Amino acid sequence: MSARRPASSTAPGRVPALVLAALALAGAPAAARANPLETAIKATFLYKFAAFVDWPDRAFPSPNSPVTICVVGKDPLGPTLDRAVNGQRLGARPITVRRVARLDAQSGCQILYAASPKDSADALKAAHGAPILTVTDAMPDGVDSSGGIIQFVVRENHVRFYIDEAQAQGSGLSINAKLLSLAVSVKGRS
Amino acid sequence: MTDWSRISDRWRPAAAAVALVAVAFVVAGLALAAYGDRLYRAQKTKEIEVQAQIVADSVTAALAFDDQSVAQEYVNALRANPEVEAAGVYDERGALAASYARSRADAPPQTVRLAGPTFQGSHVRVVAPVVQNGARLGAVYLQAATEPTIRRLARYGGAALLALMAALVIAVLAAAQATLRTVNRALRDRAHDLAEANQMLRVQIAERERAEEALRQSQKMEAIGQLTGGVAHDFNNLLMVVSSGLDLMERTTNPERRAMLRDSVRQALDRGASLTRQLLAFSRRSALKPEVVDLKAQIEGTQVLLERSLREDITVEMDLADDLWPVEIDPSQLELSLINIAVNARDAMPSGGLLRVTAENRPGLAEDGPARRLCARHRHGQRRGASTPSCWTGCSSRSSPPRRVGRGTGLGLSQVYGFTPRLGRGRCASAAASARARRSPCTCRARTRTWPPGRRRRRRPTRRAAAAGCAAVEDDESVAMLVGEMLTELGYEPSRAATAEEALRRLEAGGRFDLVFSDMVMPGAMNGIELAREIRRRLPALPVVLTTASARPSAAATAEGLRLVLKPYRIDRLAAELEAARSGRRTAAGGR
Repeated sequence: MSARRPASSTAPGRVPALVLAALALAGAPAAARANPLETAIKATFLYKFAAFVDWPDRAFPSPNSPVTICVVGKDPLGPTLDRAVNGQRLGARPITVRRVARLDAQSGCQILYAASPKDSADALKAAHGAPILTVTDAMPDGVDSSGGIIQFVVRENHVRFYIDEAQAQGSGLSINAKLLSLAVSVKGRS
Repeated sequence: MTDWSRISDRWRPAAAAVALVAVAFVVAGLALAAYGDRLYRAQKTKEIEVQAQIVADSVTAALAFDDQSVAQEYVNALRANPEVEAAGVYDERGALAASYARSRADAPPQTVRLAGPTFQGSHVRVVAPVVQNGARLGAVYLQAATEPTIRRLARYGGAALLALMAALVIAVLAAAQATLRTVNRALRDRAHDLAEANQMLRVQIAERERAEEALRQSQKMEAIGQLTGGVAHDFNNLLMVVSSGLDLMERTTNPERRAMLRDSVRQALDRGASLTRQLLAFSRRSALKPEVVDLKAQIEGTQVLLERSLREDITVEMDLADDLWPVEIDPSQLELSLINIAVNARDAMPSGGLLRVTAENRPGLAEDGPARRLCARHRHGQRRGASTPSCWTGCSSRSSPPRRVGRGTGLGLSQVYGFTPRLGRGRCASAAASARARRSPCTCRARTRTWPPGRRRRRRPTRRAAAAGCAAVEDDESVAMLVGEMLTELGYEPSRAATAEEALRRLEAGGRFDLVFSDMVMPGAMNGIELAREIRRRLPALPVVLTTASARPSAAATAEGLRLVLKPYRIDRLAAELEAARSGRRTAAGGR
């Protein structure tokens, strides 16, 4: 299961909104050069991931408690994320956003997003083993095994992602096959 | 045609029922069609909805993460289903993300709202939500073609047509059944009528037979009436001969002359006896006395008699085979038959002609052995030189030629008619009344016999050496007197009794009686047979000889094995019977 169907290699030109003209320099840190369109897409993706992931029961205090997206450290999404999440629900659960300086047990996060590599390293360490879907931006030189379960990447002017299914399994999460099928690549379960 | 109107009357309710059934069939067919249509729509809708749902479930991720190419691939996959005319995938804001249209006209709308399935003409449109884990991500729109209504209706029409035909078949069967029942009833009625008609016909036939029987009886009475005159005439002649003969005998002493007179009287008496036999034969009350005879000699002996009874212009020809088998027949009846046939032939040939009598052996005719054929033919003399002999039959009174009233007694053919069927297997081969009968020979078959060992010879009555006691029972005075004389002449001592009771009394009283000679028909409580029975019971050793003139009592007597002498008898016959009775022997006649 290591080799998933690669996501569409050719975009048929129906995604003008996703043309990222500003991404001229591939080697520059994504967060530093993020343009508003990319930010908006990432914000949307963040809460949409929730629909394709199954958390263990222990991840939520109660059946109606919200799905909380925690943005750790530096926040490149800003109010875009708040707008995107506003009013969205996952079944009975509302989706909320919390911004924390650093992750700890009281954060109550189900989804974690750490934009800067420094923040992400700490956060990932803190979230290790906990039922939290960790999302980071991929390193410019490729997928980093020390990254989150899902790592954003920009390919052919489209925001795409890698999935580390092995890490997700370690965290007790189950990722829907449909999501896996959209990933650029999947690190399979051991 | 009342039958048809009846049939149509009976048909009316049946036709109505059939029409009702047909209408019911059509209504049921229409209802079925409507139900089928609804079912079809529902099923089609469900089918498309399921398909839309499958697409919706497939495109969730692609829609969520804006992967339009993947969404488009899913939509394009719908091409494989020829029913799908258009498809569209919309994001959560309701904007078209991917679409497919089989033709330009079928392009999906730019925006869509969740709603139930809709039918438009032969198209069905459904919108299915795209939901993942409770999060609504967009919608899928599908438009599919259904079978055109007109085609569906045509299919249902075919089914309805089948139903209608089924109804028609039922109607035809019912009609056939009804017709069959009607025809059967008509046949039954007709058979009943036929049976009634048959019964009526039987009654009519029975009535007709009774009428014919009465007619025959009256014809017979008429014949007897006619006979009486002829017989009286014959008898008068005979009586004349006897009376004058006796007168002359009294006046002469010349033995030669007396012998001649006695012979003529005897001849007259014999003729009288034969006449009564003839009469009895006619009334069928004469007992036949058949014996084995040589036909050739017997018939040749009648030639002189025949010629005498015919006219000079009629030639008699005898055609008799030499080797004729002996036959069993009553010779006197045979002679009478021949004479009667000849007399009738004479009347049938007023201008003269030829009468031929033929006798030949015909082995093939008999059912149980060889048979003899006698044939009497005559040829009409009117046609000179006519070579074809025309035959006339005298076998049946019906086929007799027309006679003129006053010619003879008319007894002849009746005698032949009565005689031939009584010859055991004897029978007239020629059929009754027809013109052809006059040309066909009278064929009479007779039972053949072998000669008995040694012919019986007539013995002269001899006077007994010693007188024997004899009881003679006879009611008629004159007959009794003559019988007494004859018995005395034969050497018996007769003692006469008038009735059976008187005879029994005499026997009881004692006295020497060697035999009883009794008449059969007598006044009083007992007849001759009963007397004989009584004597046999009381005095078994005493022989009894009975005498009678009629056939029926004689048959009864021979049936009981009693000795019998038929009247009229001559003295030698009486002597032989009495002697035989006394010696305990049985004669051929007695044994029969």
